[in-house]
Amino acid sequence: MKKILVLLTICWVSTTFAKEKLPDDIKWLTNNSSPVFASKDAKKGGTYRTYIDSFPLTFRLVGPDSNGSFASVIRGLNMSIIGMHPNSEEILPELATHWAYGKDNKTMYFKLDKDARWSDGKPVTADDYLYTLKFMRSKNIVAPFYNNYYTKEIDRVIKYDDYTIAIVSTKAVPELHYHVSLDPTPAHFYKQIPKDFVRRFNWKIAPTTGPYYIDKVKKGKTVTLKRKKSWWAKDKRYFKGRFNVDKISYKVIRDLNTTFEYFKKNQLDSFPVNLPSYWHQKSLEMKAYQQGYIHRNWFFTHTRQPSMGFWLNQANDLFKEKNLRYAFAHAINMERLLTGILRGDYSRLNHHYVGYGKYSNTSIRARKYNIKKVEQLMKQAGWKRGSDGIWVKGKRRFSVKINYSVESHTQRLVVLKEDAKKAGIEMVLKRLDGSSSWKLNLEKKHEAAWTGFSTGMRPAFWQHYHSDNAFKTQTNNFTNTSDADLDRMIEAYRSSLKVEERIRLSIQIQKKLYDIGAFVPAYKLGYFRTAYWRWWQFPKPAGTKHSDELFDELGLGLFWLDKGLKKETVKAMKKGVKFKPQTIVDKTFKAD
Amino acid sequence: MKLDPLTQKKIRRFKSIRRGYYSFLLFGLFLLVTIFAELLVNNRAIVVYDGESIYLPTYRSMIPGTTFGLDYQYETNYRDLKTYFAKKGRSGFVLLPLVPYNAFEIDLKTKQYPPFPPSFEDSHYLGTDEIGRDIIARLVYGFRICIVFSLLLLIINFSIGITLGCLMGYLGGKFDILFQRIIEIWSSVPFLYVIMIISSIIVPNLIILVLISVFFGWMGMTWYMRTITYKEKSRDYVLAAKTLGASNTRIIFRHILPNSISLIVTFIPFSIAGGISSLTALDYLGFGLPAPTPSWGELLQQGTHNLQSPWIISAIVTALVLVMVSITFIGEGIREAFDPKLHSVYE
Repeated sequence: MKKILVLLTICWVSTTFAKEKLPDDIKWLTNNSSPVFASKDAKKGGTYRTYIDSFPLTFRLVGPDSNGSFASVIRGLNMSIIGMHPNSEEILPELATHWAYGKDNKTMYFKLDKDARWSDGKPVTADDYLYTLKFMRSKNIVAPFYNNYYTKEIDRVIKYDDYTIAIVSTKAVPELHYHVSLDPTPAHFYKQIPKDFVRRFNWKIAPTTGPYYIDKVKKGKTVTLKRKKSWWAKDKRYFKGRFNVDKISYKVIRDLNTTFEYFKKNQLDSFPVNLPSYWHQKSLEMKAYQQGYIHRNWFFTHTRQPSMGFWLNQANDLFKEKNLRYAFAHAINMERLLTGILRGDYSRLNHHYVGYGKYSNTSIRARKYNIKKVEQLMKQAGWKRGSDGIWVKGKRRFSVKINYSVESHTQRLVVLKEDAKKAGIEMVLKRLDGSSSWKLNLEKKHEAAWTGFSTGMRPAFWQHYHSDNAFKTQTNNFTNTSDADLDRMIEAYRSSLKVEERIRLSIQIQKKLYDIGAFVPAYKLGYFRTAYWRWWQFPKPAGTKHSDELFDELGLGLFWLDKGLKKETVKAMKKGVKFKPQTIVDKTFKAD
Repeated sequence: MKLDPLTQKKIRRFKSIRRGYYSFLLFGLFLLVTIFAELLVNNRAIVVYDGESIYLPTYRSMIPGTTFGLDYQYETNYRDLKTYFAKKGRSGFVLLPLVPYNAFEIDLKTKQYPPFPPSFEDSHYLGTDEIGRDIIARLVYGFRICIVFSLLLLIINFSIGITLGCLMGYLGGKFDILFQRIIEIWSSVPFLYVIMIISSIIVPNLIILVLISVFFGWMGMTWYMRTITYKEKSRDYVLAAKTLGASNTRIIFRHILPNSISLIVTFIPFSIAGGISSLTALDYLGFGLPAPTPSWGELLQQGTHNLQSPWIISAIVTALVLVMVSITFIGEGIREAFDPKLHSVYE
């Protein structure tokens, strides 16, 4: 019977895609040797109570309104085909046990885990991956981004048997595994995708492959997740000791201050205290902290950093000149801002691509505040100080409009402005609302933009620095960088399929960008801070190199609840027994 | 100059209203302080003598540090200059203003973070704000901007309001009805939303802010002027002037306006108070003048965000209350002094 099925499948595949068979010289890879990051001592049980700032508009994975803040929860309910080690970033098995690269740099082969089950008990098979393409390409899901991605980027999925597939990219790309990582979609649940999919499946709870499922929903108020007691992956090497709590409850609390009050009253289990006012003041003033019931943890990470800073527009009359760009960089007294006002909570960002591992050029240091250097550079360019101390040359004056949008950054910029004035550069602060400000930058009408870009897996040079995107509206080349040498390097980086070569080029490009000097880096965070009740336990170290919070219940899920400690603490709270207040500063992964 | 006896009587009457008169003196003092702020609250010295020549840095262009033999080309730090002279053993002196800071300077310390509490040692008599700027300096220079804003607003608002109001009352008929409806519609445009939209697209400066405020503020005065013109128009003296062949312009300017001056004058203080509070409100909400302009609204916002540093909020609230109360008392005094029942102008 099975043979017939396989035969039938092969027939079907061959009629669709003209004869597909697994190549003979395939080299299967797997990973059973990376260090584990969860704790052996982790115990299962308990409820983790957290909050969301608004009730989700849908439980769908795709379609209108599905990309709200709850999307990360919905996505977190499912496993990926392969995972990534949170420290070393090596590939880890998830839904696939083995993988292999095709010679064409376009095809990646996967052996699926035969244990993998949907939450309704049905096995996860090759058909679910085939179905993903059909699903994501369907117009009925009303998701143009996915429609486009799964057509333009993913060519097809090939099924060899129920547990062996290949995913084919439309073009050869380096590090193919990031490109073709595709999640299965439960074919037996969605069946034919109806025309009214968006409405019909809005609140439907789809089967999941991950450790939790949506259990109870009180519309507008709470969502509760429950752990699958016999989850298929719970004893696998990289999943042991993770996803420990039995229940996760999300309560809708719209306001941060109110959330904090809930936390203080032991209605929530943890609270992010990243903001300086919360870390340096409000959390210290909590009675429960002073009595030792709430602990605080300052955890340093070493991960990709957003590129916050000044983007100098080289189309501008002033910043055309390299000397003036350098002078501007040397007139920014970031050190004074970081140590004098921001309490050392931030540290200096050295260049655009910090924290990208081997791809980062760690030898680059940001230009420091130095009035003497500014004077030297400006005199070289033939400028002199005007009557108010600002540099002038003929009718030109070194006055720069700084385009920004975040209100809380005003004070930071004011501090920089005062010191820049001493160096002879006038900064005129121009705050607009977010979208107008962004539009101005996209249209390249800014002189200098104070903003930042979020990160990607690998440095993306083309969008920011290639001349293809310079002097054009609606591109991310905010500096209007256009340099023939740089273009050649970026093109080589983009087209190269060899990791070593790409790393070498990436480092060279960053050096070149430093020489151009059109981006003046500001600061980076490089940590997160959390307050939590003392019965929560963590592995050692409590997080990972690339973590973004201690309590990422669906991401890594490393924490667990110690029932004994909870009993002890609750008793102590009733009797008024105090413990020693605890603030943990974990620098295991601190970069510099 | 000789004032006419009626005006003299009004001034005497105003002086006799103690509360209003003292408020007037207090407010006058505030005005004086803010006009001559550069001599009282400033980082530039009033007089510097370096052993050779005398400098008066206050109202001139910047004097770079190199002039006094310091090693920098930016503005001389006059507070340090004093100690510098002493250290170098040079004869010379530096006369600093009472508060030796301007509204923009950021005075930071090591290992301590602003806001810093009031300190006589550092000459921050009311402390500093959240990035280390002197609060007195922010208050004084902020007040100057408030007053300029209010006066500009007052002049433009009153010019438009009085002209249109007079015309509506005097001409009556279709003109009156048309403008009544226009004003009614205009009044229902939500001011705050428009301001929010505008300041998200452009960065407002003082003139733009005044113009926006005028755009929504000129209507108030029209109603009063219309009513009073309507009333005056039907009086005998207007009829008499008409019979004598006076032109409309002459009647409005020579007869009606002088007789409604008491109404206009009584509105002035309240209108200034309104101007100050509206600029403060806009700055407080973040739709006002761009940073780092010294502003009361911004200070108020900092105060509410830093309640643990009570010197910020108490300074700005005290200043606001003092100014507003004194203006209100002046307004009351003027209204009473101009009360027609006491003078019986047209009997």
